[in-house]
Amino acid sequence: MFTKKRGEINVWGKGLLQGLGLTFRYLKEPKVTIQYPDEEYVLPNRFRGIQYLDPEKCIVCNQCARICPTNSITLSGKPNPDPEKKGRVLDTYEINFEICILCDLCTEVCPTEAIKMTNKFELASYSRDNLLKDKKWLENNNTNVREANH
Amino acid sequence: MELRTEEMLLNIGPQHPSTHGVFRVVVKVDGEKIVEATPVVGYLHRGTEKIAESLTYTQIIPYTDRLDYLSSMLNNYALVQAVEELMNIEVPERAEYLRVIVMELSRLASHFVWWGTAVLDLGATTPFIFAFRDRELILDLLNEISGARMTFNYMRVGGVKWDAPEGWLEKVRDFIPYMRKKLKEYHQLVTGNEIFLARVKNLAVYDGETAIKYGLSGPNLRGSNVKFDIRKNQPYSIYDRFEFEIPVGENGDVFDRYMVRMKEMEQSLKIIEQAVDQIPEGEIQAKLPRVLRVPEGEVYTRMETSKGELGIHLVSKGKDKPYRLHFRRPSFINLQIFSDLLVGNTMADLPAILGAIDIVLGEVDA
Amino acid sequence: MADLLTRPFSWLNLLYISLAAVIMLGIVLFFVTYAIYFERKVIGWIQIRYGPNRVGPKGLLQTVADVFKLLIKEDIIPEKADKALFRIGPMLAYLPAFAVIAVIPYSEKIQFADVNVGILYYAALSSITITGILLGGWASNNKYAIMGGMRSVAQMISYEVPLIMSFLGIVIMTGSLNLIDIVEAQKDSTWFIFPQIIGFITFLIAGNAELNRTPFDLPEAENELVAGYFVEYSGFRFAFYYLTEYVYVFAMASLMTVLFLGGWDAPFGLDFIPGIIWFILKFMLLVFYLFWVRATFPRVKTNQLMGFAWKVLIPVALFNVLLTAVLKILNVY
Repeated sequence: MFTKKRGEINVWGKGLLQGLGLTFRYLKEPKVTIQYPDEEYVLPNRFRGIQYLDPEKCIVCNQCARICPTNSITLSGKPNPDPEKKGRVLDTYEINFEICILCDLCTEVCPTEAIKMTNKFELASYSRDNLLKDKKWLENNNTNVREANH
Repeated sequence: MELRTEEMLLNIGPQHPSTHGVFRVVVKVDGEKIVEATPVVGYLHRGTEKIAESLTYTQIIPYTDRLDYLSSMLNNYALVQAVEELMNIEVPERAEYLRVIVMELSRLASHFVWWGTAVLDLGATTPFIFAFRDRELILDLLNEISGARMTFNYMRVGGVKWDAPEGWLEKVRDFIPYMRKKLKEYHQLVTGNEIFLARVKNLAVYDGETAIKYGLSGPNLRGSNVKFDIRKNQPYSIYDRFEFEIPVGENGDVFDRYMVRMKEMEQSLKIIEQAVDQIPEGEIQAKLPRVLRVPEGEVYTRMETSKGELGIHLVSKGKDKPYRLHFRRPSFINLQIFSDLLVGNTMADLPAILGAIDIVLGEVDA
Repeated sequence: MADLLTRPFSWLNLLYISLAAVIMLGIVLFFVTYAIYFERKVIGWIQIRYGPNRVGPKGLLQTVADVFKLLIKEDIIPEKADKALFRIGPMLAYLPAFAVIAVIPYSEKIQFADVNVGILYYAALSSITITGILLGGWASNNKYAIMGGMRSVAQMISYEVPLIMSFLGIVIMTGSLNLIDIVEAQKDSTWFIFPQIIGFITFLIAGNAELNRTPFDLPEAENELVAGYFVEYSGFRFAFYYLTEYVYVFAMASLMTVLFLGGWDAPFGLDFIPGIIWFILKFMLLVFYLFWVRATFPRVKTNQLMGFAWKVLIPVALFNVLLTAVLKILNVY
């Protein structure tokens, strides 16, 4: 419309009118916004949200802590209180969600599926302290747990 | 009487709406004209290459997600490609097809963001929303297969993490005709617009020789009529099985780079279409030891991302961690020409030129 | 109402006049509030979004909340700014915007000042706003602001020429600068959009540029100048610049309705619908057009903007004047 170089000739304003036509048509198109807090955002099965932990299943093998790329998992075990059984049970388990990147590697290496992903993704908090989640919190995070790890 | 005018030093960024992140450029302007420009990068530097030296190969994959975070699948592949090359791993057919499908979807998603933001930089707001609407569909697809919307962590050395869920391939197939229709709308809304043409034609022109001298790659190179696409020139994965063209521009201006990317989207759709049709059944992961020890050696592998040539130089000393890992990040190298392109253009051209280079700061600063 | 001004001075009359002004201010503020709401809704619909829908029913109170937020914000004057000019800027920009509304006739009954040089008054006063914008840009002591201010001045001065020329044709046709006479003339013949189609199109483009709206929103081009001349303003002063912009939308759309769309004149003899409704309908159409364009087009560049004004719009407007004059002599009109 403004500069015509290299001998391009087209009808003045044709492209402008085309664009106007398109935007006018879009006035009545159905809206795609999801009204988020009111409407639930449906996530697929495989979604990697905040982990769920089943302390019963954990065998304190430390693999999750070792694979974690950001070292966000710390855990400790204690001898099994039941003298009949061998092995160790989980004592403390903490995930620091300030640095956890939800990469799914911990659940991938877990031999007993003690740690699993859930569909929960809302972590906003007023304090950084709240982002350090302990064993109890992770155990209670038991909704929408992903079925399979692999 | 002669008017005395002074040049003004203007600091654009790191917090500026059209630097696409935390990029900073110090420009010396004479009125509206740019006399000199000095880009400053590094505000998002995380030292990925150094961190990688203390991580096992599997652990590095999530870090590659965060380089060019708009097309993480492509970065994922770059790393596993290098490791596979050094370990000489045969990847199962199905895994390769799944990789190609997700990579091309990722390339599309990245181009959508570029299209939306590059046109937004010229002042049009609607294309941005349209692009993000369609990108959302791709993210949903990728979310379904990998479990994340942007940081996929999907590829593994020797294969992929998940097989496609039931009905996923059909969804991808349905997406193709939808997207072809929408691409037409994109052209209708922007490509023909005279104001848009007036802004981008004959802007920031460089020829193919200059582009090669600057080490440019990707659409920035092809826009200047150099037919070079690693997918064709040095096929990796299974790209040699697909039929697609390499679109090139003629004049090497911003408009040509725009058109190259627009045409690339169509080619990506074409590749996805073929891949979805040809995909075989079978394994998705090669048999590998639990702890990956890469044999001693050195390798440079490269691939074509949405930005250009992403190369990986990997040195292994036979441990489970790399001795040295270097990313040749296309955004960073493409940015080198930026300050030279700015000189002589006006302030209003700055976002247009930057938009056409298509940088992602996660990749520039690594 | 206009006869208020001609009556002898008395305190009661002064009260009436002030009251009328306050009511008008209220109407204008109401318009601005809902124009912003409407704009965000329209752009939202085009962009397959809902637009504001949280504050109040259907989001109707969104702008009210926004304005309230601006009012309670801390009033910041940058340390290195020229404080006096920084304060004067927004006022100087807003005053003429409100003053130009006085001459626009809305219907047979609702009209304020019957000024014989109505259009000239509009054109003359509206150019004072530039001073306010330039002052704001300069006083902020910010590089982006001064660039925005300079762009604004260059743009407004260039586009005032085609703007005024584009309605010269109408002046030739009616032989009057009085806006009320112009509407009356359209009642007798036809709306001037038909004989003056060239003038209408130039006015539409120049008017858009004069309003600093997309695709001519260079003074506040967020992509290169962040926010342009009001980048340093916050709180109430910012609100004033914002208000100025939208009051001009009101004024420009009203003026266009009066000049080209026959003001309150009912089309097809639909006289039973009151004139003011017709005025509002035509006015809304033009306002919608502005929003529609904003949602569609990218922004032009400074040199293209100037080139377009001087190389295209002014010659076309001049040609229109010439054509009208020739046709007038030939007694076609």
